[in-house]
Amino acid sequence: MGILISLGRYMVFVRRIFSKPEKHGIYFRQIFREIDKLGVSSLGIVAIISFFIGMVVIIHMTSSIGNPLIPTYYFSYTARDVLVLEFSSTVLCLILAGKVGSNISSEIGTMRVTEQIDALETMGINSAAYLVQPKIIGMMITTPVLVILSIFIGLIGGWVVSIAGHLMTSADYIHGIRFNYDSFKVLYTLIKSVVFAFLITSISAYFGYYTKGGALEVGRSSTLAVVYSMIMILISNYLITQIMLG
Amino acid sequence: MIRVDNISKSFDKNNVLLEVSAVFTEAQTNLVIGRSGSGKTVLLKCLIGMFEPDSGEIWYGNDRFTGLDSDQQRIFRQQMGVVFQGGALFDSLTVEQNIRLPMDFFTDWTRDQKLERVNFCLQRVHLPDSNRLLPADLSGGMKKRVAIARAIALNPKYLLCDEPNSGLDPQTAIVINNLIHEITLEFKITTVINTHDMNSVMEIGDSILFLSEGRKCWEGSREEILTSDNKVLNDFVFASELMKKFK
Repeated sequence: MGILISLGRYMVFVRRIFSKPEKHGIYFRQIFREIDKLGVSSLGIVAIISFFIGMVVIIHMTSSIGNPLIPTYYFSYTARDVLVLEFSSTVLCLILAGKVGSNISSEIGTMRVTEQIDALETMGINSAAYLVQPKIIGMMITTPVLVILSIFIGLIGGWVVSIAGHLMTSADYIHGIRFNYDSFKVLYTLIKSVVFAFLITSISAYFGYYTKGGALEVGRSSTLAVVYSMIMILISNYLITQIMLG
Repeated sequence: MIRVDNISKSFDKNNVLLEVSAVFTEAQTNLVIGRSGSGKTVLLKCLIGMFEPDSGEIWYGNDRFTGLDSDQQRIFRQQMGVVFQGGALFDSLTVEQNIRLPMDFFTDWTRDQKLERVNFCLQRVHLPDSNRLLPADLSGGMKKRVAIARAIALNPKYLLCDEPNSGLDPQTAIVINNLIHEITLEFKITTVINTHDMNSVMEIGDSILFLSEGRKCWEGSREEILTSDNKVLNDFVFASELMKKFK
């Protein structure tokens, strides 16, 4: 019963977020601020993680399926699919759920307990729309860009370890990542990233927005936001994969 | 004028307000006093639409506020200025941006007109040249004054303040009291202030409503409060040794 009530409240919250803005110009400017705050600030962590994961994936491929009968370019081909299909969208978004989700939830939760949200409402401003809509749109624009960047940097990481570790030649590596290329898989991963971006932002904002109490509850909301965002990412990952590739 | 007719509000089975009726008059500083937990903040939150009363009505002039849906109430609130207990300034915005925010949303003024209005409001609360400061740079009293400046930015008809001088030293509290009183008279605003500070009562309380355990227990002027024979009121007003001596 509690889950149904929360789900209903979440739906109402999302409807409020997407109600007509009081002034489009203010929201438009906010979107760029959120792109900078949530997206651009995540570039560093995305680059580092993707680079090292790209390296590790290639090492795993060569050690697990390394066989004289298997052409070496298959390792980079498989690594590319791992990065494109799962790592750079799903795993990256799980990481972003921790970083961005806790940031959003604690920011909005603090605004709630310090009556800043009440102040917005008493001014006649739709606080849910003003605070959350630019974050959702900003993340839905930024996340696919981060995913593409993650794929690219992951592939560079794989190339570096392949050459430095003498696992394969540069020509084989490049042949592998171009082999049997299917642009639909990239489309699939971009669609997933947009859905995940929406889930991370809206769920985290929901937990922050309905925080009651003080600092302790803000921390609790932040934890719940990350946990529920991750669960919903995993569930929606399965559903989208079943629908698009199943 | 704000009129409250038989407002009741409960949370779970705990009755916080019980059939409270009152009239808050225009161009007067109307104080709502009472012990902590007497229902003052709940009454104020009902007045601004943060809580929906279980029964009863709230009228702003000839407009029945309790008859409006949440979106209509939000639009109606553009006529109100609200000062929260902690100031509720937006941490990420400068003082100027805090005061300018309602103008950005609800006016078509040019940038210069907005800046002129911001500077006027800051002058009015005796904080000129603080435009670029962040809330973190301000003292408690300055935060309250910026909150008042923000509340009057759009010339509201109604000003509602929740314990505006709580946590302030007596001198700063007097400054805040006088400021609200001056603004009320100058702009002919209907002001409602929640407080349990007896200094405020004696200095600026044109009309006083005393709540006890969610009920209206007494109402009158600051002159009448000293001569009232209401025991509950006297227990509250003359709780301190200073007030006993004053009596």
